[in-house]
Parts: sequence; C-alpha cells; structure tokens
Amino acid sequence: MENKPKPFMNPYLAGFLLGLVLLASFVITGRGLGASGAAKDVMVTGVMNVAPEYASESAFYDPYFAAEGSPIRSWLVFLAIGVIIGGFVSGAASNRLGFKMERGPRIKPYTRAIFAIAGGLLFGLGAQFGRGCTSGAALSGMAVLSTGGILTMMTIFGSGYLMAWFFRKLWI
Amino acid sequence: MAPFIPEGLVNPQLNLFFALVLGLGFGYVLEQAGFSSSRKLAGVFYGYDFVVLRVFFTAAITAMVGLVFLSFMGWIDMSLVYINPLYVWSAILGGGIMGLGFILGGYCPGTSIVAATVGKIDAMLFLVGAVIGIFIFGHFYNAWEPLYMGYFEGNPFIYETLGLSRSWFAFIMVLVAVIAFAITQNIEDRVNNTPIETIQQRPSYVLPGALLLIAIFAFLLLPEQRKSNARENTPQQILAALQEKDRIVDVEEAAYKIMHEDPDFTLIDIRDAVEFEKFALPGAINITLDQLLGRRYRDFFRNPGKPNSKKVFYGFGESNADLAWTTATRAGFENVYVLQGGLNGMFETLFNGTEMPDDPLNLEEEFTVRFLAKARQMFLDGQVLPAPPPDPVPVRTIIELETPGGRGGC
Repeated sequence: MENKPKPFMNPYLAGFLLGLVLLASFVITGRGLGASGAAKDVMVTGVMNVAPEYASESAFYDPYFAAEGSPIRSWLVFLAIGVIIGGFVSGAASNRLGFKMERGPRIKPYTRAIFAIAGGLLFGLGAQFGRGCTSGAALSGMAVLSTGGILTMMTIFGSGYLMAWFFRKLWI
Repeated sequence: MAPFIPEGLVNPQLNLFFALVLGLGFGYVLEQAGFSSSRKLAGVFYGYDFVVLRVFFTAAITAMVGLVFLSFMGWIDMSLVYINPLYVWSAILGGGIMGLGFILGGYCPGTSIVAATVGKIDAMLFLVGAVIGIFIFGHFYNAWEPLYMGYFEGNPFIYETLGLSRSWFAFIMVLVAVIAFAITQNIEDRVNNTPIETIQQRPSYVLPGALLLIAIFAFLLLPEQRKSNARENTPQQILAALQEKDRIVDVEEAAYKIMHEDPDFTLIDIRDAVEFEKFALPGAINITLDQLLGRRYRDFFRNPGKPNSKKVFYGFGESNADLAWTTATRAGFENVYVLQGGLNGMFETLFNGTEMPDDPLNLEEEFTVRFLAKARQMFLDGQVLPAPPPDPVPVRTIIELETPGGRGGC
C-alpha cells in the first residue's frame, strides 16, 4: 500500500510554521498573506481584455486603468502561483493527489457542486466588502493586531456559527 | 531594520520573487495541515474537527508575538507594515457574507486554491464561484460604494480601540487561544466519541502551552518603550538638546547660505500651503507639521547628507519650528535645525537691523552690517526670487503599500 495518503501534520506544528511564513512576509515585504486578491486580479484582467468598454464604464475598474502594467503581474498573483505549486508539491509528497468531489455523507455530488459555487460566490463577494478574506483580513489582520482585520475575522466565524445549524445537512 | 523591501534594504524588483517563495510555504503548510479537505474545514462549525481553529490561531499568534517582539526591540517599523483599514459596516457585512459562504462552500479562497491543486472538484467550483462573486461586486459597485467606502475609522490597532497596552492585549490573546485549544479538544472528543485510550496516548500540550504563557507574560514586566523605530531619541536626549541652543541657525548664516545657494542648506517651510504660496524663502520646500512624519519625507529626513548639511525649519516665528524640530528629533531625523526668529525675526533683523555705526568698532561688526545690507538688497531687488519648491527626491525607493482600490491584502 505505498499509495496510502500520509497523515496530516500536527495542527499546532502546521500553525507554527504558517505563522513563521506569515511573519517572514511581514518582515520582508511589509504585508501579510492573501488569496482572494489574486482571484480579483485574474477576474479584472479578464474583463479588461474581453470587454474593455464595459470595464471603462465602471468605477470599480478605475484603479486598474490608472495603475501601470497588467494587474495579473501583481504581488498577490505571484503569491497564488506559489500557493498552487506549494499545495501541489505537498499533495504529491503525501499521496493526496486525485480528482474527487468532497461532500458530506447525506448529499449528492450535484448538490455539493451547486453549494460549492454558491459558497464561492458569497465568499468572493464578501471578501470585497471585508477588504480581504480569511487570509488577508482575518489571519494577517489579526497578526498585526488591526481592529479592521479582527472585526472581519470575528464576523466571519460568528456568521459561520450562526448559519451552521441551518445547513447542517450539507456536512453531517 | 524590517520590513526590508519598504525600507529599501532589498531590491523591490525581488518583491515578486518573494511573493512566489512565500506562496510556496503558504500552500505547502495549508495542504500539510489538511486544509485541502472541505469536510475537515467545515468541521470547525460542527465540532467534529477543530483543525481550522488550531492552525489558524497558532499561526496568528506566532506571527503576532513575533511582530510584537520585533517591534518592541525596534527591529521592525510598524508604520511601514500594512495595517488593515477599518470601514466598520463594510467589514461587518463582508464578514457576515463570508461566514455564510464558508458554511455553504466549505472553503475559503486560500484553502480552495490549495484544494483545487490536489484535485478537489468542489474547490475548483468554489473558485469559479469566487470569481463570479467578485464580478458581481464590481458590476454593482456604484450601488454599494457609499457603504464600501463609508464609516472609515482609519487604521487603528485593536489594543488602541480597547484602550489596552499592546503587551497586555497580546498576552490575553495567547491566553484565550490556549484555553480555546483545550476546550475545543474536549468538544471534539465528545462529538466523535473518541476512545479514552486514544485521548491518553495523545501528546500533552500542557508544558509548551505553559511555557509560552510565561514567556509572553514576561513581556508585561518589561518597561513598555513603544519604540516604533530604533533611531528614535529618548525624551532625555531631546530635553538636553532643547536646552542647548545648537539647533538655532542665526539670520546671518541663513542669509549667507541662501545668497550663495548652498546645496547642503535646505530650508523647510512648515506653514500651510496657502501661506507658502504667498511668500517663502528662496529655495524653501513646504512640509507642514502634519506631513512631517509622513512616509513621503521619511527618506529625505533620514538621509543625513554631508556632515555639514542642514535642514532648517522655519515658520512665522520660532515656536512652530521648534515643534517641528522636537518632533523630528524624537523621530530620529538627523541634521535638523531651526531658523532664528522665523520669517518675522529674519525680516526684522534684515530691515530694522543695524544701521552702520559711524565708527565701526571692529572689522567683524562692519562686515556683519555690510552683509546684512547686501542681504536686504537681495530681498528687495528680488535677485533671488522665491523659487518653485522642488520636492525632495527620495533617496530610496518607497513601495506603495496600499494597492489599487484600497483592497485588503487578501
């Protein structure tokens, strides 16, 4: 059974290592880690190339027209490329690669698919209002002890626990 | 002195390279921790798996304690670190929406990227949804811009908001985390009906937890210096320097150097821009008290220049220039001075100043009088016109930390 997935890392060790990566990010670049910003840059670049008239009419895209260079070459996109490589290397090293629709025991794959898209949609939308997601606002924001980041973190988890009961069929 | 890239210690061109390397570490650790599994992630909300809480809190506390320590030692300048802005209702709404998204989707954006790379189809769909969600935000941007940009409270720290010292807040955070780890482990075992043997075989975290708490508690006993950077002068040093009059540049010296357009003599007009436009000394630049500590002029002030170079503050009088000098000295800026008497004092000396005595007592006095007459003539003739103020050219490159649209780091 050489292809058996290896066990996950001890969560406290993983958290400590992740904390060191985050600290290194602050020490070297003055900013924390993030993920949703890369999705935004990819989306913005796509819209600006596919429908430039549409983009030029919206105030949302103004900063990107003002900024020189393509947003796809941004810091966050490079970070995301690193995350992709790092995640793949880790998955390969621990025999966890393979296509799979992960879902709770009581729902069908297509139900899971619909809720995954809906969840992503809400997360993408919320990350704009929150000015970052669990990594950029909550994790990095908590590490620098910023009120804004900690407020966003508390509302993410608070809202999650409030909603958990209503959607328990999805997971348990 | 950290942060390296905003401080100019590392070539900004390497910024993207570091992004890639940091991303590698980020992705690797997330995957190793099990964050590529939506069922594991969602477990935090149902009590069957608290891995999210353990990894998240441990990471946040590790980085937080590290930053507090580096800042305490004066090794990192927190004013150059991105501090999340506080737009109160936008943050609350955003967090609320994200929490619902977490329950429905089982991922957050970072974990969904990792999960997608190891082949999780639900994570790929989640990412598609995220891009659609961002597009929707952009499409209706005009409608929610007032909320998105409203209720702005600056970039406060949580300990300021709560009125605590930073060390106390950090200690409380660690304490809360350690207690949360213990309680959630207990909940997890009950929900999963973990056999008692498994619990007994598990390594104990009592010792590392206690050591961590003691180490953090030691911070509280240290005197809080609140050094934001290592170059600062202490209040004692500043008081001593204030009592000396070394900071005063007298009118004769200033006039002489203005007339000779000395490149190592920079006049800094601290009055507001309107006054500055009306009249300023030749070659002066305008940096008001509000702008003094701004990032824009940091490198200008920190660069000591040649040994005899002087950066001379002046206002109408001396008192505001003294304020600027005190502030600048406290911040560790070098070679700063104050113009004797300010603009008013200078003109008084130049115009109402000394008449040529009938019988000059000595050559030096005669020279001073002649010189002042010459300087007076210069101002009256406008030989040296008030030049348009050149902006000081930053010596080191400043990275613009705030990205387009004021978005967060995520």
